[in-house]
Amino acid sequence: MKRSIEEKLLNPKPGSKVAAAKEFGIDLTLLIRNLRLTPEERLNENQQAVNDLIIMNQQMKKSRSKKGN
Amino acid sequence: MIKPIEALQAFAENKVDFVLIGGMAIRSHGSSYLTQDLDICFSRNKENLQKIVAALAPFKPHLRGFPKELPFVWDASTLNQGTNFTLETEIGDIDLLAEVSGIGTYADVLKSSVIMILYGYNINVLSIDGLIKAKRAAGRIKDLNILPELEALREILSDEEE
Repeated sequence: MKRSIEEKLLNPKPGSKVAAAKEFGIDLTLLIRNLRLTPEERLNENQQAVNDLIIMNQQMKKSRSKKGN
Repeated sequence: MIKPIEALQAFAENKVDFVLIGGMAIRSHGSSYLTQDLDICFSRNKENLQKIVAALAPFKPHLRGFPKELPFVWDASTLNQGTNFTLETEIGDIDLLAEVSGIGTYADVLKSSVIMILYGYNINVLSIDGLIKAKRAAGRIKDLNILPELEALREILSDEEE
């Protein structure tokens, strides 16, 4: 019987590329989540996440420079 | 703030002949990879160079890593003088490549692409197979590290497992 994409990711077959990715350290639950989104939603999330990181980085730098004064 | 999606939309609006490659292509296929730049492979025909210039002009592109005082003219003639351009713009970094290692020129990259509907446009996106070839050829650690995830995606999306 054909397994769904989610089943393949949740229970990878030994020797499969999915099993290799899991072994490598890829979080397969994130793949499941991403594959539920449309390509457009995936790109929107990427942009939002990168901008959040940029803001966090700027705030950390500000905080460090305040401590230095 | 970076806004690579705006650049993507500008390319599509200006009917630029391009293929989305790199991190955003990887991401669009379902990977969790995070990227802050936009990479495209473009056709070097003269009309297309004019369209690229028009698409990016509002974002004030200049060469990344060079002093801002260094004169840089953003026009088709400049684009005609090279194949790969790494640009810094008001909305983030954008890389324009006329050739992709492991695949070839724009025509080859286009053949290795799939169409995705993004922001109301049909956009050519490098396929998972194409991305695997390109990343293998690039061969840097950061490129090789993405291969297990791409190969897993290829397997589950193409029914290779069965």
